Amino acid sequence: MAPRDPPDVLIVEDELLVAADLQCIIQDIGLHEVGLATTRDEAISLARRYTPDLALVDVHLQDGPTGVDAARLIAEDCGGVVLFMTANVRRLPPDFAGACGVIGKPYSEEGVRLALRYLWVCLTAGYAPGPPPVGLTLSPEYQARWAADLPMSA
Amino acid sequence: MGEAVDGGINDMEDVGRQTAETLRTFKDADYAKQLEQALAQKTALLHEIDHRVKNNLQLIASLLQLQSRRIPDEATRQTVRGILERVNAIGAVHRRLFQGGDVQRFAVAEFVRDLAGDLAAAARRDDIQLKLDLEPVAVPASSAAPMALVVNELISNSLKHAFPAERPGEVAICIRNVGERFEIIVADNGVGMPAEAPRGFGTTIVQLLCQQLKAQFTQSDNQPGVRSVVSVPLEKLA
Repeated sequence: MAPRDPPDVLIVEDELLVAADLQCIIQDIGLHEVGLATTRDEAISLARRYTPDLALVDVHLQDGPTGVDAARLIAEDCGGVVLFMTANVRRLPPDFAGACGVIGKPYSEEGVRLALRYLWVCLTAGYAPGPPPVGLTLSPEYQARWAADLPMSA
Repeated sequence: MGEAVDGGINDMEDVGRQTAETLRTFKDADYAKQLEQALAQKTALLHEIDHRVKNNLQLIASLLQLQSRRIPDEATRQTVRGILERVNAIGAVHRRLFQGGDVQRFAVAEFVRDLAGDLAAAARRDDIQLKLDLEPVAVPASSAAPMALVVNELISNSLKHAFPAERPGEVAICIRNVGERFEIIVADNGVGMPAEAPRGFGTTIVQLLCQQLKAQFTQSDNQPGVRSVVSVPLEKLA
């Protein structure tokens, strides 16, 4: 399924001030937010309902360290691309639970803007416009996927 | 052990010795296990604290960001953005601190590359070029935050004041080892310092933290622009 343009974004974050800030950034750069979840179950139910193109997922949610599980389900069941946004980069499994990458907390607003704009291009074009901006680490799987689909001219 | 018991009363000594040995092995294994558990617990605790510090820094940054968006007065907003920028610099330190294997040392060059990129992007000035020439330097983790704040002030000062609207230019950031010291040099080719510039809060921060780091801070005319040099004695860093 081709992602919408602008992509639909689901926020999975239990710290509401951090989520509110993220909502402003998403709105600023022109992405379309579809909802905010603060627990694993909420995240999965919203993801099933809206099939977001991109889900921003924290590892620690209101019901514990359930973000990894939520991410895997969103990536596998709902076809959404997941980006972790967490202070717990160490806790991620080697395969990133199917997520495309991670932004470590604390992040800067500018870092998030650059990363989300970059992912927007990756999502809609199917390939990376260049190396990821500082602050964004891509998973090995997505690094290969978005590099492999690079047109020959690039 | 069973065989020894079957062998008769004379073998009881052997049995005793063997039992003592087995017990000692058990005790050693037990002790090693306890140590392992204690270490695992300590590591988990360290990770938990690291995680909390990072999340709290994120919370502070998000709060300042949300607040700054609601301030109509430009000057006030810039003040809050200034605080936010300094919190972000400290945040960037913590993001890097536990990333490498070494918890005690902080890699200055990698941090400066991160921070400079972030500040340049935030300045939204495609006409200002960053030039980085960074030799690797490691400082104690305890010096990382003051070091970061100093570098943040110098770079952001050049980005904000050296190139008024439409004037393109370059900010060169250099880290080099000079014997027992290392130098952080931030040089721009902008408009230079006005003759009677009021001493800003940024300058106060740089001076106080250089004093804390036992570092020398000098600023000179870059012809054109400003050249700032922070010379840090490595052995004096706590």
